[in-house]
Amino acid sequence: MARTELIKGILFDIQGFSVHDGPGCRTLVFLKGCSLQCAWCSNPEGISPYPEPLWNARKCTYDMACVTACPSDAINPDADLLIFDKTKCGVCSSFECINACCSGALRLAGYQLSVDEIFMQITRDRQYWGPDGGVTLTGGEPFLQPKFTFDLLKRCYDSYIHTAVETCGNVAWQNISPALPFLDWIFFDLKHSDPEKHQKMTDPGYKSGCHKIQSKNSPILQFSNPSITNSSNPSIVFNSHQRILANARHLASEFKGRLIFRMPVIPGFNDDAENIAATARFILETGRNEINILPVHHLGREKYNLLGETYYTTEFSIPTKDNLYKIRDQFINSGIECYIGSDTPF
Amino acid sequence: MSDITETHINYYGKQPADLIEERETKRPLTPRAKVARDLYLEAKSSVSLEFPYWYTRRWEELDGEIPITRRAEAMKAGFMHLTPAIFPGELLSMGKAAFLRGSFPMPWLSEAFFMAAEDKLYKEAQESGKLTADSFTTMGKGGGNVTKSIGKVISIAGKFGVRVEEMPIMIEVAKKWKDKSVDDVGHKYEQLVPGYSEKEALMRSVICMFDSGYTLPQGREVMNYYYPLQFGIDDLINQCRESIAEVAGYPDMDRLYFFRATIIMLEGLQHWIRNYSEEALFLASIETEEKQKSEYLEMADRLDWISSKPPRSFHDALQMIWTFHVAVLNEDAISGLSPGRVGQVLYPFWKRDIKNGVINQEKTIELLECMRVKFTEIDCFASMGVVGGVLSGNTFNNLCIGGLLKDGTSAANELEMLIIEAGISCDTPQPTLSMLYDEKLPEEFLLKGVECTKIGTGYPAWVNNQGAMEFLVNNYGHEGMSIEEARAWAIGGCLETSPGSWAPLELDGEIHWIPGGSAPATSVGVHFLSLPKILEVTLFDGMDMRSGQRIFPSHGYKLNTYIELWQAFRDYFSRACHVLTLTNNIQHDAWRKISPSLINSMLKPDCLAKGKDIGQMGSRYNTTFNIESCGTANLVNSLAALKQNVYTEKYYSLDEYRSALLANFGYCTAQETGSYSLVDQVPTDNYHQWKKIHKQSLDAPKFGNDNPFADAIMKEWEDWFCEMAHDYRSLYDQPMYACQISVSTHGPMGAVTLAGPDGRLCGTTFSDGSVSAYPGTDKNGPYALFNSATCWNHSLSQNSQLNMKIHPSVVKGRQGSRKFLELIRAYLRKGGFHVQFNIVDSRMLKQAQAEPEKYRSLLVRVAGFTQYWVELGKQIQDEVIARTEYEEL
Repeated sequence: MARTELIKGILFDIQGFSVHDGPGCRTLVFLKGCSLQCAWCSNPEGISPYPEPLWNARKCTYDMACVTACPSDAINPDADLLIFDKTKCGVCSSFECINACCSGALRLAGYQLSVDEIFMQITRDRQYWGPDGGVTLTGGEPFLQPKFTFDLLKRCYDSYIHTAVETCGNVAWQNISPALPFLDWIFFDLKHSDPEKHQKMTDPGYKSGCHKIQSKNSPILQFSNPSITNSSNPSIVFNSHQRILANARHLASEFKGRLIFRMPVIPGFNDDAENIAATARFILETGRNEINILPVHHLGREKYNLLGETYYTTEFSIPTKDNLYKIRDQFINSGIECYIGSDTPF
Repeated sequence: MSDITETHINYYGKQPADLIEERETKRPLTPRAKVARDLYLEAKSSVSLEFPYWYTRRWEELDGEIPITRRAEAMKAGFMHLTPAIFPGELLSMGKAAFLRGSFPMPWLSEAFFMAAEDKLYKEAQESGKLTADSFTTMGKGGGNVTKSIGKVISIAGKFGVRVEEMPIMIEVAKKWKDKSVDDVGHKYEQLVPGYSEKEALMRSVICMFDSGYTLPQGREVMNYYYPLQFGIDDLINQCRESIAEVAGYPDMDRLYFFRATIIMLEGLQHWIRNYSEEALFLASIETEEKQKSEYLEMADRLDWISSKPPRSFHDALQMIWTFHVAVLNEDAISGLSPGRVGQVLYPFWKRDIKNGVINQEKTIELLECMRVKFTEIDCFASMGVVGGVLSGNTFNNLCIGGLLKDGTSAANELEMLIIEAGISCDTPQPTLSMLYDEKLPEEFLLKGVECTKIGTGYPAWVNNQGAMEFLVNNYGHEGMSIEEARAWAIGGCLETSPGSWAPLELDGEIHWIPGGSAPATSVGVHFLSLPKILEVTLFDGMDMRSGQRIFPSHGYKLNTYIELWQAFRDYFSRACHVLTLTNNIQHDAWRKISPSLINSMLKPDCLAKGKDIGQMGSRYNTTFNIESCGTANLVNSLAALKQNVYTEKYYSLDEYRSALLANFGYCTAQETGSYSLVDQVPTDNYHQWKKIHKQSLDAPKFGNDNPFADAIMKEWEDWFCEMAHDYRSLYDQPMYACQISVSTHGPMGAVTLAGPDGRLCGTTFSDGSVSAYPGTDKNGPYALFNSATCWNHSLSQNSQLNMKIHPSVVKGRQGSRKFLELIRAYLRKGGFHVQFNIVDSRMLKQAQAEPEKYRSLLVRVAGFTQYWVELGKQIQDEVIARTEYEEL
């Protein structure tokens, strides 16, 4: 079998006609598993690298079919809740609970596809993109699955498809560098200029009790990045900030394509003039000059409910238009092109 | 691959309730048009009886006269007695009746259906099954609909108000037409068709939505204004006089009567126009405000001029086509009378006025906005089943933009840009716009169209110019349709591909080839067959289980294999087509004999040249009868579920499926829950017994996901349907063809249908259009839907219809416009015939359902037309809300 048939990635969605993550109309491939756990994450089902059930209480008829079907006794009814023991779900591969559910309350986040299988869908979508479109890998963190990401990007690039990646940057440089020749475009996140603040809000410890995945040798995937399995160790996460900045500098000098920094705007966390100034300084140092600021939103709330997790993002207010304009002006005055949300020139 | 992608999660449309996205804002309309539109929004649908009274009176006087002459005289009397109604600030004047939203019944077509429920005539109609569709149709409760009697105004057909003192006139006039109307005469003769009882059963079970010959015998066609624009009415009368001299006494004497009737009719129109001119003079005489006074005087002059001569200016020409549009609307019960490619027809007049400084861009926009309000004022008087269930109160005056000129170059022009502009600023339902998309159209023009679609008006709809031309050459080739002539086409009605021709408009010695319709109604024949209901009847061996009545004789198959099921379904479908084609042919024959078209015939090439009206094949093209379908996606999904769960995987026997369908999978019916959308249905205590089979039905392959299993069934159905339709022959002995739009019939037709093997529940609304997915089942995004939709060749059919709902955030801003155009273009390039959009947040629609008074002017796109949300029936509102919303988070 060819390598592109053998190596499978774990995904949680593929979306055609995505218009906000790169030039033109694009197909987005969401890779599952992330090396950060930002408190405002709007794709929380992309954080764990394993398939996991999503439970919709509103659709549930409480017939306990899933509880009975589960071979590992991982589902415990508690009043009108179903508690899923994610340590058991994390190593499950049969997901009999999903098959047993008749109400549509249970769904699975995460499935495996080979490069060839995804490419079939990309080939279909390609006829609808128009001249500027292409593929964007996002997630989760695409470079946590480096072999798969490399193969998929190369397959696309060789077929004259415009390729983009959205990365948090918290991966080993050797996960990124081989893919660079096959990339046209990178979105790179800069969440905060201050290491401590950065740690506080991207550390898995912020959200107590979620994703306690114990298995170090997953039957499904092997990660080259150790931080994902040792995520409870703060020192490693602390280092993530340095690693992110180092990767940003590397990319800025070595990547031939368009590198656009992205910053989620979280009021009270990173929207102060000081942080914007520091971020602007850093960007100018790298020699690049584009940033896309994304106002935090509360649209992911439903997904936290489905995962049975606490939603923290409502602790942050949504930035006002004035606030966003102010940040944009500050970047522009520093000599950096700044685009708000989907209002971009691409 | 498809198995895996089907189970993955669909996040579209999951925003929490506090974040409703507003539609993109737009330029305000001119003050003049605002006054007119606000007046319209206050107006109620009102019936006046002047026209039917005088028509009937004159008709009775002329007992024994040649029918077409009698008809012309009766029509002339009707027009002459219409009270003119001119409203302050109007730039274009004239209307169907003396009210702003005026219309009137035409008892010569059918006298029974508008009678009060207690009337004997009404009861008789109900017994013969004609009114079943009415009783399962919900009308919109808000807007201009008069849904219940108030004070001295009586509500009829759930929509129209009539003054209480006029009711006796209406009943009296109606009684005069008993046994003489097209309906009654047609009914007398259609019973001679062998197997007629089957036809009544089909109507009673609402397998077929409505009869064709007397309901809306004209419409779904494109107007042609060439003759009045080029010659003026006086000259046309003279031409008819000359023609009489040529044919009087020679064989084929019908021509003599036709020309004479045309003269009588034109004289009636002249009288009618001059009455308006007189009224304008009168208003000027009592007007104290100088500007308004001079506008009345200009209007009087303009109307007087066009009552005899060809137009002098763009403004004259626009008044002329509006006048003739209304005139045609008054000769029959008509929906879908499309003005056609107005921006190209009037371009020579406009260009000359611009050159001479007679008009400028701002004035043009103001005039075009006034035109929009005028078209929106049009009401169509018909029964509730037709007005609510089919039309949703809409009259489908489709104005087409784009397309190609006679020589094959782009037809887009500056006037059409302004027509789009006026459509943006004056967002009224009429005239709806259709973009005849062709690769040769300039990018700027297309992006202007996108700008308009984006603001949420639902128009322009995007249709495939080359695809339509291919259809026309294939289906009208034997009548002489060439590629050059196919370029003159336009949409008639909401989405009916209609043939046109080029006419040489001469202005200042220069010839301009203008397009115009050249065929009668292109959507008559078998009006909407409910595909899911026919499958239901197939599963129950010919029985309608809702009413317990037999529809067809036993099909004789045990249904042991999928091939048998497919064959039995096709047998029943063919039976329905057969008997309905014959009975509708008879109805149309009664129509052309009793109530022949005169105004429309005069306008349509080549009636004047041949001396024949459109009922005598006077038009250049006559292959216009079709077979319409409804509920395609539900049929395909049901067949897919049965094929997988009964025949391939054998999870269930067919008997188990039958029990599940009768038990409605353990759910309450839609009538019980009061919602017609699948997502709102409520389980009963018996739910657990059926949940497994329901889940496996819902999980079975669904059309719209690029799933080869389901799409193969779609293709098999389409290839068969589009071919078999040619086996039936119209009144004019021409082959028929497939027409695949649902209009609003998917609401009432769903209401009488049991649960389906696809998991759809009893009474809920079907999928709309013909290539739209069933709401909520297209889980793989728009590209997968496009692939499924284009799995068959759309040029085999008169149309196909794809409705999509897109969240406003996806298409926001300049880049949003470009990307939106790429989406549309990609689908049409792939061979899609039509796509249209609701750019609206579902939660806004839910709020509007709860608080209609706050959303009086909210527009939505239904199935080929744009309508005010509050004027839609609940069945259709629920369906629009449930449509999968494409939203990128």
